[in-house]
Amino acid sequence: MKKRILVVDDEEGLRLLYKEELEDEGWEVELAASGEESLEKLERDSIDLVLLDIKMPGMDGVEVLRRVKEKWKDLPVILCTAYPHYKHDFGTWASDAYITKSSDLTELKQTVKDILGKRP
Amino acid sequence: MRVMFAREAFKPAPGFDFHQLDCATQPGRTPGKSMEYDIIEKVSDIAASDLKLDAKLSEAARVLLRYFPFEQCLLYFEDSGALKLRAEANGQLQAVQAYEKGKGLLWHACEAGVPVEVFKEPDAASWESIEDRGLYGATHALAVPLKGSGRVYGALYFKSAGKGKLSLLKRQMARITALQVVSLIRCSELESRHSRVYDELLQMQQKLVNSEKLLALGDMAATLAHEIRNPLLSIGAYAARLKRQLPPESPGLKYLEQMSADIGRIERIMNGIIRFLKDNAVELKTEDLDSIADEALALFNDEFSAHNIKVERLRAAAMLPILADREQMKIAFDNLIANAIQSMENGGTLFVKTAAFGGFAVARLSDTGGGIDPKYFGYIFNPFFTTKKHGTGLGLPIANSIVMRHKGQLEAGNEGPGAVFTIKIPYAGAQEAASITPANGAA
Repeated sequence: MKKRILVVDDEEGLRLLYKEELEDEGWEVELAASGEESLEKLERDSIDLVLLDIKMPGMDGVEVLRRVKEKWKDLPVILCTAYPHYKHDFGTWASDAYITKSSDLTELKQTVKDILGKRP
Repeated sequence: MRVMFAREAFKPAPGFDFHQLDCATQPGRTPGKSMEYDIIEKVSDIAASDLKLDAKLSEAARVLLRYFPFEQCLLYFEDSGALKLRAEANGQLQAVQAYEKGKGLLWHACEAGVPVEVFKEPDAASWESIEDRGLYGATHALAVPLKGSGRVYGALYFKSAGKGKLSLLKRQMARITALQVVSLIRCSELESRHSRVYDELLQMQQKLVNSEKLLALGDMAATLAHEIRNPLLSIGAYAARLKRQLPPESPGLKYLEQMSADIGRIERIMNGIIRFLKDNAVELKTEDLDSIADEALALFNDEFSAHNIKVERLRAAAMLPILADREQMKIAFDNLIANAIQSMENGGTLFVKTAAFGGFAVARLSDTGGGIDPKYFGYIFNPFFTTKKHGTGLGLPIANSIVMRHKGQLEAGNEGPGAVFTIKIPYAGAQEAASITPANGAA
């Protein structure tokens, strides 16, 4: 069965982009436009990895990360941000990977492959 | 020759009233307004005028010469252990340019701290016991030290070839006018110090205004960078997708390639701006500056060989402990190294020297890339200033702001065939030793 990734980003253009690019890589992709929506989807669906934007209106990525890690300790989360050095924030330490947003998606795809490839 | 020490001679008699004393002897003067009054007023006027110090002193010397029965009035300043001629109102007598310490009548008066009046008979062969070339041809002289707040500023030197001995009033006046000259000098010193401090203040204020401008610019740039970044990412990534979907022979491919290249460039600028603006927090730990420099250099090995650049590394004798955010400090080095490489694209040598010096751990990066045009020295740390075609103008400002966040200094200069950048970070060795000692003592 295909592994399923949940992409959480408030920008529609980016959600669509990640969906198409990751589907091209052979993954199944679910989308959420906000932190709140992502938590609802996680309750309902079976998800193998979360790709999480940090800066979102309402519940931000750091808060989503905290709640995800409380409830689904082993679910891997990749944080995406515009800031190359967000790691000063303690909340982001719990993520499994951390990538800087770029139009070059090579790093993102490789990180997804590294994390999901290791898991049964 | 007779030498009269003024300490005794100048003591006023009880009930002495200098105002009235000489009035009767000055023809054409109204009672109550003596010549002394005139002189004091004139010197005060000079002191209060807008003239420069040397002009004030020359003017004062002329006024004093009109009053005192001498043919020459010289004004000497104490300057690095010698008395040097600063102003003169001249007659026919010789003026010696400078007196070494201890030499001549002037030093005698300065050391005694009181006015000294000397005279000799016109037919006497020489000034016995006083060696002073300035006294050649003179028969009467008065040396008045210029003293204030326990400091000797210099001396007034009056000379004449005539006969005479000063009246008590004139001796009194010599002291008073000397005090006036001292306050004139002190006022002028204070004024120049004041104007220097004021200039410094203006410069500081200008710097402050600049840094406030930068802050405001920074806020704007941060917002812009953030708002532009996501749409840019989307454009760039979709362009890449489109490129993959077009058939290889499609003419649109080269447009997309150009788009991707330009988007990549904007992204790099955005990353630079965000890094410059957002990395304000530093996590300080004790680190070794030597190893930070080595790590930063290692990242550039490929580029060094690609551009035929030789690296000469001179290491410190021991560890160079500093309190630093290792990652940020590496970024500072990265920017300086990248800058050096860009200046030596056709080969050269990068010298990287680390050492402990004067309370600082110092890293010195010098290249052979032609150096910095001196007219740009004032600008190279300003964000967005660049002389390169595709530079962001953020490399050096980032390095500088990181070094400053470490309470250090980044200095730029030229040396030999290239530029030299010096990072100075306070040496943490001393503090560390101090914090370890009590713990050891307790154990």
